[in-house]
Amino acid sequence: MVKKIIYILFVLLLLSGCNKSCSDGGDDDQFVLPDSLLYKTKEIDPTVIEGFIEGMSNPVEMAALIKSLDVQYSSKHLASTDNIEKFTTQAQQAFNLGIFGTDLGYLNMYNKTNIVLDYIGAIKTLSDGINVGQFFDFTTLKRLAQNNQNLDSLMYISVHSFNEMDRYLREDNRSNLSVLIITGVWLEGMYLATQVYKEMPHPELKERIGEQKIVIDELMLFIKNFKQNRFFNVLITELDVLHKEFADVSITVQKGEPEMIEEDGMLVIVQNDISTIEISDTRVENIIKLTEQIRNKLISN
Amino acid sequence: MKYIITVFISLFYLGTTTLVQCQDMTELTSQCAASAGDVTYLKDFPVSLDAGAPGGKPPTAQFSFLLSKNTAYRFSICTAADSEGEAVLELYELGKRIGTTYFESTGKEFPFFDLKVQSTGVYHLFISFKDGKPGQAVGIMSFIKRL
Repeated sequence: MVKKIIYILFVLLLLSGCNKSCSDGGDDDQFVLPDSLLYKTKEIDPTVIEGFIEGMSNPVEMAALIKSLDVQYSSKHLASTDNIEKFTTQAQQAFNLGIFGTDLGYLNMYNKTNIVLDYIGAIKTLSDGINVGQFFDFTTLKRLAQNNQNLDSLMYISVHSFNEMDRYLREDNRSNLSVLIITGVWLEGMYLATQVYKEMPHPELKERIGEQKIVIDELMLFIKNFKQNRFFNVLITELDVLHKEFADVSITVQKGEPEMIEEDGMLVIVQNDISTIEISDTRVENIIKLTEQIRNKLISN
Repeated sequence: MKYIITVFISLFYLGTTTLVQCQDMTELTSQCAASAGDVTYLKDFPVSLDAGAPGGKPPTAQFSFLLSKNTAYRFSICTAADSEGEAVLELYELGKRIGTTYFESTGKEFPFFDLKVQSTGVYHLFISFKDGKPGQAVGIMSFIKRL
């Protein structure tokens, strides 16, 4: 009798505790080795990783900028979902999850719900591969996309799921995968920006490309920490070349006093800094070419 | 034997309580993102902080991110219904506070503020609770428009 009670309590305990980090699925959560056991690398201070990753790249911001420039949607900028079975290692899956995450953001931004389903499916496969599929409410996402309704919710759930997954990986001591996702998100954002710029050389896009110097500087520091992994090694080799192209990009800021304005009970803060990003046309051309080459190579590996 | 059963029951209770809190946080984030208005959600910053030491600085959660020039962002804060403390969101750039949802000198509060960014760079967001009380809250960063 006592044994039975203990057994029941033990099962209940397991059920209640399995839902780490507020996932709503959890049934396909598998045991995964932490970074320290997977890679013999110098440990990065988690607070540093946290500080870096939290907001270095976002799967919708570049798409939001592109759309705000009245650029037409183009499916040719998207990565193909046909070959996801080729991504067999967790590193490949994490990186490509970032790539497809940005593409999903781009599709959502342009309300392309007919194609969105392919990308949701691809993201499901890849996120299951690295055991974070429980963060994507695929049933809801699919329903919203199929019904072509509540597009704001579709966007919100997609991006929020992505953020949750990234947070979970870092909390779960798998920041190596988080770094790969963020690198994928960033590279695909760069690819979108550079491809659009190639067709429509808007000065704002040029500046946005130039300011990525800040991100790539940080990104290189972090990916180099995982150089023992084969995929990271490839990434380092490829991105190092791109990184060098940013060497003479100059970002200068003339500080000004921020102004606080209250309008109809709303607080608006206007920054009065003057920021200048200088990047030559030749440099931009090189960055466009390299980004295309690197991105295409990495997503076909 | 009673001891073992008590331990199991306590752990089970703890597990379910954590799950309920997690679900509350997810709901709070979704409500907070919806209340931010006609903007595009970019990121959320959930926090759960313990009470600060009497007379000491209130515990604070910090997040860093890149903001781009010529872009307007919205920063919102929502305190959980059962939170003891009321959350305050502050934004810093190069060690200088450039925005807050609560002005201590006047007692004025805002559920969010908009920031028109003119210089690209890394910004730091701090969330704390008034008087160093314990609490749960979520901060939301949204994209408004290109300037």
